[in-house]
Amino acid sequence: MGIISVENLKYKYPDTDKLVLNDLSFDVEQGEYIGLIGKNTAGKSTLCFALAGLVPHFFNGAYGGKVLINELEVRQHEIGEISSHVGLVFENPFSQMTGSKYTVYEEIAFGLENMGLDRETMIHRIDESLELLDITGIQDKNPFDLSGGQMQRVAIASVIAMKPDILILDEPTSQLDPQGTDEVFKVIENLRKEGITIIMAEHKIDKMAGYADKILFMHDGKLIDYSSPGEVFSRDDLEDYGMTAPAVTRISKSLGIQNKQNGLYPVTLKELSREIGDTYELHRN
Amino acid sequence: MSTMTLYVDRNSILHNTHPLTKLLYVMVSIAITYIIPEVTFVFTVAMITLILLILGKVFRKIVPILGLSIILIISIIIVQGFFHPENQTELFSLGFLTFYQEGLSYAALLTLRVMNMVMSFGILILTTRHDELVEALIKKGLSPKIGYVLLSVLQLIPQMRATMGKITDAQRSRGMETEGNLLVRMKAFFPLIGPVVLNSLNVTRERAIALEVRGFNANRQRSFLNVSKEYRYQKLVQILLWTALIAAIVWRIVTWGS
Repeated sequence: MGIISVENLKYKYPDTDKLVLNDLSFDVEQGEYIGLIGKNTAGKSTLCFALAGLVPHFFNGAYGGKVLINELEVRQHEIGEISSHVGLVFENPFSQMTGSKYTVYEEIAFGLENMGLDRETMIHRIDESLELLDITGIQDKNPFDLSGGQMQRVAIASVIAMKPDILILDEPTSQLDPQGTDEVFKVIENLRKEGITIIMAEHKIDKMAGYADKILFMHDGKLIDYSSPGEVFSRDDLEDYGMTAPAVTRISKSLGIQNKQNGLYPVTLKELSREIGDTYELHRN
Repeated sequence: MSTMTLYVDRNSILHNTHPLTKLLYVMVSIAITYIIPEVTFVFTVAMITLILLILGKVFRKIVPILGLSIILIISIIIVQGFFHPENQTELFSLGFLTFYQEGLSYAALLTLRVMNMVMSFGILILTTRHDELVEALIKKGLSPKIGYVLLSVLQLIPQMRATMGKITDAQRSRGMETEGNLLVRMKAFFPLIGPVVLNSLNVTRERAIALEVRGFNANRQRSFLNVSKEYRYQKLVQILLWTALIAAIVWRIVTWGS
């Protein structure tokens, strides 16, 4: 069993009739980078909330099935307890700043203070996460004075400092400019090297194709597919679900460039150029 | 970044006093001016507070704040000078207006109390970082939730004001008139306040989630990043303040009959 295990998860928000999560089951292994895709209202955010324990503890409503995080059943434990295993970062960097702290350094300390860590451990962890997110230079600034990208990195640092095994990011770059987006993706790549399991809901398919180990594809609360980016993006029915494949994949499809071994279309430029290289060699011989 | 704090960063004897000692001073100095209703005594207390402000190097900051309370003070003087029920001794008259001694001395007492109150709060607010004060209170047992509200409100109100500005601009760009006579402004009020309220509800919900996932609600013993500064002689000063308060109460009880 993996670090996350979801069994027949069903959920609907209070005062609604529609199941937002409809019978989801999947496992995530330690250290994997999972991309969560699907069009708006597919249930991506709700799934993120369910993994962090906000569903069903913060949002009430009808809940069925099981979510196990580190063999801890989410439903039976409080958010405070789950928060030391799962970190959650979401879309709006601005509303993730507590507002009660005056410097980035103190802002990151907020979660650690709530955990009741001693001062030395706190300082050690804050310095570590400042370093990891490359924001040591702004540690004495007021969080509200920062740019969106910097603020989002502070938000990630604040969560990372709490040393969760799993980091969940719900569209962390949707309010950022391309530069801020790159910053965030780079940072997440670093975190993955640290061995943190990452689940990231994101609309930027092209980026996702390059970074994720596996893609979890949702539509209307149901799990459509859960496999490698190549397999998911090579599907013919993507457009029926309101999704488009990465530009690279679409180009390869129309040119008929496929991987010889498994018949999948390339999803990144690197794969594409490898395939083209192979094709070229084939013709030369 | 505009925060709504009045704190003045100086190095003075007051800045080097524990926030709770200053808070105690505010309480005691206000309480004793009510326990002992003697003009000379209240005047002395107000003068001590004034001297402390000067020692704290923040006297100039208190002047505009005192200026604001002048309206209240003037109205006290006029009302009490005319209408105090014990008015007997005529002091002077301006045309048909007659001021009485009893009323005016009572007005002086009230005025001094108000000024003392404003100035002693000035000592606390102008020379104390409010995050340090709230942290000191949390360590003394104040609920962290109330502490959070006290701390965040000063940063979040300017943020909300900025949102309000953005929404005003957005509505204006769609042709809504926001300037002009009273009627125009009143009409503009609802299309402005609607989005502002909805937006803040949304942001508040998200912030609640953010606090939640960072363990704000966990019932664990909290710790603090900032170590409390070391202050000297605090116990002594606090004991002196408590003594002053008790002495005032004793004095009041002893002189009850007379």
